[in-house]
Amino acid sequence: MSTLLLRVYDWRWSVLPPVTGIAMMAMIVGALVAAPREIIEGEVQRLMYLHVPSAVIMYLAFSVTAFASVMFLWKRDIRWDALARGAAVVGVFLCGMALATGAIWGKPIWGVYWTWDARLTATLVLFLIYSAYLLARSVAGPLDEQAARYTAIFAIIGVADIPIIQMSVRWWRTLHPQPIVFQPTPALPTEMLAVLALGFIAIAALAAWLIVLQTETERAAQRTSALRAEIDHREIA
Amino acid sequence: MDNIEYLFAGFAVFWAALFIYLLTLQARIRSLHREIEHLEERLAASEGVTAPASRDLRGAPGASGGAPARGTTNS
Amino acid sequence: MTSLTAVVAKDLRLAWRNRAAWLSAMAFSTIAVLTYSFAFDLATGDVRPLLPGVLWTTFLFAGVFAAGQSFQEEVDDGTFDALLFSPVGATTIFLGKLTANLIALLIIECSQLVLATILFDVGLLTPELLGIVVIGTVGYVSLTTLLATMGGHVRGRSVLLPVLSLPLLVPLLIGAVRATGASLGLEAGTAPWMLLLLVFAIWSTLAAVLLFPIAAEQ
Repeated sequence: MSTLLLRVYDWRWSVLPPVTGIAMMAMIVGALVAAPREIIEGEVQRLMYLHVPSAVIMYLAFSVTAFASVMFLWKRDIRWDALARGAAVVGVFLCGMALATGAIWGKPIWGVYWTWDARLTATLVLFLIYSAYLLARSVAGPLDEQAARYTAIFAIIGVADIPIIQMSVRWWRTLHPQPIVFQPTPALPTEMLAVLALGFIAIAALAAWLIVLQTETERAAQRTSALRAEIDHREIA
Repeated sequence: MDNIEYLFAGFAVFWAALFIYLLTLQARIRSLHREIEHLEERLAASEGVTAPASRDLRGAPGASGGAPARGTTNS
Repeated sequence: MTSLTAVVAKDLRLAWRNRAAWLSAMAFSTIAVLTYSFAFDLATGDVRPLLPGVLWTTFLFAGVFAAGQSFQEEVDDGTFDALLFSPVGATTIFLGKLTANLIALLIIECSQLVLATILFDVGLLTPELLGIVVIGTVGYVSLTTLLATMGGHVRGRSVLLPVLSLPLLVPLLIGAVRATGASLGLEAGTAPWMLLLLVFAIWSTLAAVLLFPIAAEQ
């Protein structure tokens, strides 16, 4: 099993960049040209093909962070810490992109960039939690085992907090009188669904590629500080 | 409803952020690899002086398979 | 159980010896309430719509502040690490710290409730409100204590503590503010907000108690 995984992982540089590139290009063409123009919302609705996949795959990236944090606490192997960090960076990036494209979509449709809607607020809190995670991890050295354990526990608490945050924010909003912003969405036509699926493939491939890239960067940083420690050790001896 | 400028802005923000992210990441990778090469050279030089005792100590636990295997020692 | 009471007694003694930190937390929360009264002009008009938010942000900031301060000395002396090597068990040690922090914070919060009752002429010392304060405090003190004790040696911890803990505590803040508001008669029924507070308190205490031994493992 693990040897098979390693074999697959060896193909990362020959598979992930071209797949990501092709899927992203196809998604752009699909979103800007192939998909039909939405009648009510107009052209800006095409941002959905970036926005929805980013928002969904961000959760996958944060799950990878939580999983790698559990594995780090269990195995005490610093490589899991690199994966947790790598996935968290990509998750924060996607979260920021979901917030930004959402805000830009909101201006012409809702008339405001931001509204304290439940889903938006919960996403913003998530963005803050994982930015704090990255901040806390980056003030310590790449091989600092204690800091890695600290942030791993924080990442696990953060993931466990997500459902409570969403529940509480929903109550916070819905037990309050407010103008209706979300009409029940009508079923999407098939062409739109196809392009949306393409968007999911593209953003998933992009996220996988970025996680691998970022994780290997963290590994290189770990190796640098290990080499530095080794040289210091030699020069003292 | 004509709001194509917002569509343009959304895509522009996404792509700009992605490229800035990739460029900074690439710069970081490059400087890290340069530093690793430099440190390995220093380590190899000191290995010539002292006994090559702890060769397997180099790198983090399980450093193999981490960074791409280029720039190994040229002794 | 006897070891737990012994640890709690030890932590309470420590908190007493370290009362400068707790007194500064109390002073901080008093000043926060005063600052809010000037900033939001609480001296005039009906304060009740603003009061729950004022009270709970004060409690949360004071709690986070105190969690960082109350623990600093033990980390610097290395006594906490020594304690972890003792046969008492990490869970007991954590529960002791948690109980001591909870008691100290409840004292601070009650003093603020008395102060606010006097300053704003609103009846705050009702059993319902005290219950909300106790449950809410249990909810946040377990997480702040976990993050404070666990990261004893992590650099920049005191700066990071609010950044790390406040986003996690968003559900608690929402629940506590709304429950307090309902208790002051701003909206109907504290029940859903009490439920949210209770769920959060149980969740955070469980998470902290289960994760602390893993964090403390040497």
